Amino acid sequence: MFACIHGPDANRLADSFSPFVEMVDEKTAVFSITRRQIRQAESLPHPVAVAATAEAAILAARNLPGYTFIAPGQEARVLGTLSIDALPPDPELFETFHLWGIRSLEDLARLPQDDLAARLGDRGLWLQRLARGAFERPLCPRIPATVYEESAELEHPIKLREPLLFLIARFLHDLTARLKSQSLAAAALHLTLNGNQRRHGLPFPTRDVKLLLKLVEHSLERQPPDAPVAKVRLELIPTEPRRVQHGLFTPAAPEPEKLELTLGKIRGLVGEKNVGYPELFDTHRPGSARPATGRSYLSFRYFRPPLEARVSAERLWTRMFQGKILQIAGPWRSSGDWWQPDTWNRDEYDLALSDGALYRIYLDRAPKKWFVEGVYD
Amino acid sequence: MAAAFPLGWRHVEPLDLLSAAGCDFPRGRISEIIGTRSSGRTSVLHALLTASTGRGEYAALVDTKDAFDACSAASVGVELSKLVWIRCGGNAEHALRAADLLIQAGGFGVVALDLAEATPAALNRIPPTAWFRFRRALDSTPTILAVLADRPLAKSCSSLTIKMPPRRAAFTGRAPFLLLRDAG
Repeated sequence: MFACIHGPDANRLADSFSPFVEMVDEKTAVFSITRRQIRQAESLPHPVAVAATAEAAILAARNLPGYTFIAPGQEARVLGTLSIDALPPDPELFETFHLWGIRSLEDLARLPQDDLAARLGDRGLWLQRLARGAFERPLCPRIPATVYEESAELEHPIKLREPLLFLIARFLHDLTARLKSQSLAAAALHLTLNGNQRRHGLPFPTRDVKLLLKLVEHSLERQPPDAPVAKVRLELIPTEPRRVQHGLFTPAAPEPEKLELTLGKIRGLVGEKNVGYPELFDTHRPGSARPATGRSYLSFRYFRPPLEARVSAERLWTRMFQGKILQIAGPWRSSGDWWQPDTWNRDEYDLALSDGALYRIYLDRAPKKWFVEGVYD
Repeated sequence: MAAAFPLGWRHVEPLDLLSAAGCDFPRGRISEIIGTRSSGRTSVLHALLTASTGRGEYAALVDTKDAFDACSAASVGVELSKLVWIRCGGNAEHALRAADLLIQAGGFGVVALDLAEATPAALNRIPPTAWFRFRRALDSTPTILAVLADRPLAKSCSSLTIKMPPRRAAFTGRAPFLLLRDAG
């Protein structure tokens, strides 16, 4: 038998009956009920219905007040009094029902099944089975998300990295085994040491303990814990595993696991923000990579940060180079982002210097200072 | 800046730069692109990256001086989504270490090591053994290690050295309304 509770705290009430509860909507909960529990359901403050099918229980709980018990085989009789509007809305079919003069579920239930299927198809047949309370379906209970985490509180805080990694490796083995049993993989790794959480997003789902351990090791190398570790908590965020189909003619590419470890090492070397792939921003701000509107065949190299310069009518001086200005083109004035604190407003020039190079310089109009932005190369 | 070009302007297609220079970059070897500022060395490197990423390969750029212009690279056809960009903030030692790690990881079509504009002191600190190490690591791999520099660095370890001659700036129009059109 199935029971349905319809009310503001249906979820909480249903949980007191069964751990497997299907929430049809925010106010409607359906669950499987035993004969002994039926008596308890009678005393609930909200509309409750008990029936042999889940859909009959839902219809009765939503549309009949108080407690309703529908004995097996009596569904059509009990539900028949309900208006046709009690069924899931279908404007097209409801208009047809209205034209046919069908006002209640009883009217719909009485129609010949074959003729209804010929005229209204599967959808019409399904509505009729709902009206008869004869539509059977399994319960789809909400299953709370499993948290894949391990934690430990240590009597003696760990000062060295190796023992800490040993402990984390044990956690990783257990967690990945649990993920594997559910055909899942880790999408991210959250490591909490003494209450400080560090999050590692993985570029691809994985269950490779060696890879995960190496990533943790690199993270600990880059940023060691502030104090000896007394509390460790490790959580893996589950996701669907990666499925890759290799091709015979696909160009060789770095192995993702190896590449991630390599980039992890390089991040430790040059900094987290200095490794990635170039991205084009949709802005005209100078210096930010932006989508090219026209095709330029002059490759450009930036001086980052721009070199401060002193410019006269004939010469240019910077701390790196100086020379005589042979030719100059410009100015091209540009400005933007005036609504932000880091606005820009400048005049750009292209100039050929006596050292044989072609530079792009600009006059920052706010502080009235000259800068060399880069060189055409 | 080069937003508009007068009619009749002729340019060298970036991919032609490689064939024009007779450059067939050997795989599993070190190649050097040498030149001064505005010599077109960066254009050749971009052309190499364009060719590599165009074949569907992954490429890596170790940018010692943080000089890479993604916009001009994209405009000549470098597929940025297949390019790993590592900025080293002027530290040549970090650049060498990063290039070493990338070569060891394998799978890249091109690993470009941009040492142009690095200070002579930093370049002098590179031990010659580093280039032998690179050569040995590259051996029997399909990876091209392209080194961009102001002067030859890899010496005998380099299988190909492309020396880019200084180019002359070409402007159009009459002063004071000049327009930069090319360096060639």
